[in-house]
Amino acid sequence: MLRMIKEKIFLVTVAFLSLLTLLPLFHILFSVIVKGLPVLLEGGIGFLTGTLAPPGSGLGGIAPAIIGTFVLVFLSSLIGLPIAIIAGIYAAEYPNSLIGRTTKTLLQIMLEFPTILVGLFVMQILVIPMGSYSALAGALALAIVMMPYVATSTEEAMKEIPFTYREAAFSLGLSRFKVVFRVLIGMARKGVLTGILIGMAKVAGETAPLLFSAGGSSRVYFNGIDKPVGAIPLLIYNLIQQPYENYHEIAWGAALVLMIIFLAIFIPIRLRIKEVKL
Amino acid sequence: MNAIETIDLDIYYGNNHVIKSVNLKIPEKVVFAIMGPSGCGKSTLLRALNRLIDLNDNAKVDGDIKLYGKSIFEMNSIEVRKRIGMVFQQVNPFPHMSIFDNVALGLRLNRLTSSKNELEEVVKWALKKAALWDEVKDRLNDLASDLSGGQQQRLCIARALALKPEVLLMDEPTANLDPIATEKIEDLIYELKRDYTIVIVTHSPSQAARVSDFVAFLYLGDLVEVGSTEEMFERPRERLTEKYLTGRIG
Amino acid sequence: MGLWMSIGRPSINDRFKISLLPFSALILGIFILMLFVYFTNSIQILQREGIGLYTTNQWVASEDPEREYYGVFAALYGSVYTSVLAVLISLPLSICFAVFVIDYAPARLKEWLIIATDIMAGLPTIIYGIWGAFILVPFMKEYVMYPLYRHLSFIPLFSFEPLSGYSYLSAGILLGIMVTPFASSIIREAYRMIPFSYREAVFSLGATRYEATKILMGYIKPAIIAGVILAFGRAIGETVAVSLVVGNTFNIHPSLFAPGYTISSLIANQFGNAFIYKYMVSALFAAGLSLFLIGLAVNLMGIYILRRGRHA
Repeated sequence: MLRMIKEKIFLVTVAFLSLLTLLPLFHILFSVIVKGLPVLLEGGIGFLTGTLAPPGSGLGGIAPAIIGTFVLVFLSSLIGLPIAIIAGIYAAEYPNSLIGRTTKTLLQIMLEFPTILVGLFVMQILVIPMGSYSALAGALALAIVMMPYVATSTEEAMKEIPFTYREAAFSLGLSRFKVVFRVLIGMARKGVLTGILIGMAKVAGETAPLLFSAGGSSRVYFNGIDKPVGAIPLLIYNLIQQPYENYHEIAWGAALVLMIIFLAIFIPIRLRIKEVKL
Repeated sequence: MNAIETIDLDIYYGNNHVIKSVNLKIPEKVVFAIMGPSGCGKSTLLRALNRLIDLNDNAKVDGDIKLYGKSIFEMNSIEVRKRIGMVFQQVNPFPHMSIFDNVALGLRLNRLTSSKNELEEVVKWALKKAALWDEVKDRLNDLASDLSGGQQQRLCIARALALKPEVLLMDEPTANLDPIATEKIEDLIYELKRDYTIVIVTHSPSQAARVSDFVAFLYLGDLVEVGSTEEMFERPRERLTEKYLTGRIG
Repeated sequence: MGLWMSIGRPSINDRFKISLLPFSALILGIFILMLFVYFTNSIQILQREGIGLYTTNQWVASEDPEREYYGVFAALYGSVYTSVLAVLISLPLSICFAVFVIDYAPARLKEWLIIATDIMAGLPTIIYGIWGAFILVPFMKEYVMYPLYRHLSFIPLFSFEPLSGYSYLSAGILLGIMVTPFASSIIREAYRMIPFSYREAVFSLGATRYEATKILMGYIKPAIIAGVILAFGRAIGETVAVSLVVGNTFNIHPSLFAPGYTISSLIANQFGNAFIYKYMVSALFAAGLSLFLIGLAVNLMGIYILRRGRHA
């Protein structure tokens, strides 16, 4: 009898706690929409194209941050993707080499690494010598954050290719370069591409790496890659800490924009593949 | 001159002595079968012939293999593989590429043709030679994975033939195919031997009897007997061979 | 005759390896450089204050370098406190969610549940932050903390007056929400991979669902431990979400309702004006170094346990 009661309690608990796990997601989505949509509607297209309003009144726009986010994602991909993809290929091709194994473990560690430390690091080696915050520094920080994701998914995609295709490619008298880069990578492209897109979605939403590298920009659209640049997460972070009510509203609006961008990239990819490593 | 000769060939996988002192003389433009029960090293031996065994870090090869008199170990492995093509048991056209691109791949990456026209000519020729042209000529841009199993295997044959090799290695090419597809490929092999030396590994004695001119019987890494197909099947010299052919072993 | 050849290293392969090697080595190099930068930038403050940097709770920023003194113990305390809270919250949630997805959810729902947690895991942390700051904190203060404070403040855990709601509790809950999808996927994966024959055996002994689940959870204990450790590592490294809800106060207090600091939010908060002072930059790097080492140790441990558990 007691066993049956325990069983019932167990079932109820599991169901309840599972619900509790997902509840925040729905509440967050709901809140961001409820708080952010009015701001977007009120601000209209100007919210996406204008610059920041003065403290205390008005909405203005978050265009510098939007531009900044795109610039940063693009630049960091430029820097990080080649390194990550090739490192991933190396780890897949030479799984037993010392560097291959060390890199693989390192990549797994860096997947969960405190990103604020990356930002601080980039500040020390780039921002200080350059004398100012810059898009370049921000991009470097984001590249470091992005690389583990892309490298790991590249390595896994390459490893999944059945050995027989490798044999077939070699049997055609192809060098290892050609086998890997002209045949096998083509076969792995779905996994590699997924890793790239997920990596890009992730860094688009990162704040901590940018705190001391990108600098932020709310009034100037874009100054050049050696000058400070805005980013949506960075803007939100700064606005929340200001005492002005209109800045809080702008923050919600920006949060909605960010959420839409993130979901727009993330959901389609996620629906097309079976499993994602986050 | 023999197309392929192995001289005291020993192959080791780690500590496993997989091929033991095998001496083969394979004449040119014949079908030479290597038969024996599964797992006795036939596929390993085949992979040594085009140096595909290089892909395995564990493998050690002792002895020599000669292609038309020249040791393949003195040649660049890439050259070896252009002259000795291979078709696999696991039917493996590149699934993400079209029928045309599959056949053209070796030509493109090895820069064997100098114009788009020439490329198309050779692809067409290879597909014809593999008895596949008529079935695919209107759908060259379809994905290779759209074809049936038997068609895919003929596509793999065309892919190998496009490089105009001198020898064609076949590792149990029909093991995963239905009887009709198998028959088509066996007919194809009969046609191809006019121009190519074909070395075919098979675990089916009846297939060896059907397609080959010469046959070698390999048992647990040892070359038990080798001779013309007619002799082997009607008057086997070794008791082991007879046991295998009558189904009492393997 | 008798050419002894160990086939496997023709020179072409070496060229391939050598061309690719630099890229792999670059990642290794960046990591080592990072470690190096943290070490060298910490030397100044460590020479000045020694281990006191990590053990005292004092933050005296001064224009006069003689009087500067930095102790980050409060931040260390807060980091550990909030991360432990996060793990305590996320453990039951993760396990129950994993069990629900694998054992109870119908096939179609399964996929969507997993997608939902993947979204949660990838959602920009600033969004958690803004929700935490403007919605979670006021809610917690009004409906959870004040009631508890009014009635149960004799219990040390509830003894601090929650004036603003920014507190260890708020941070712990937010972090718990954030790391649960992550821990859950590790546990779920291990739970899914339990051989079917084992499950059959357990049920054939007449166990109820509850009893069976307990046994199976015991079977994947390494994964659960790894999940906990890695979740802890993730929580302790989180910056923006935490810094918006923890209160950013130099405080060491057992109460859940007290505001505090974490290493990551300390760095985020203080770095802006650190350059004015002579030693603050170094102090913050030293704080970062401790976080670096903790993060490294935790992640290595978690990965090790997970790998070892897999080969069991």
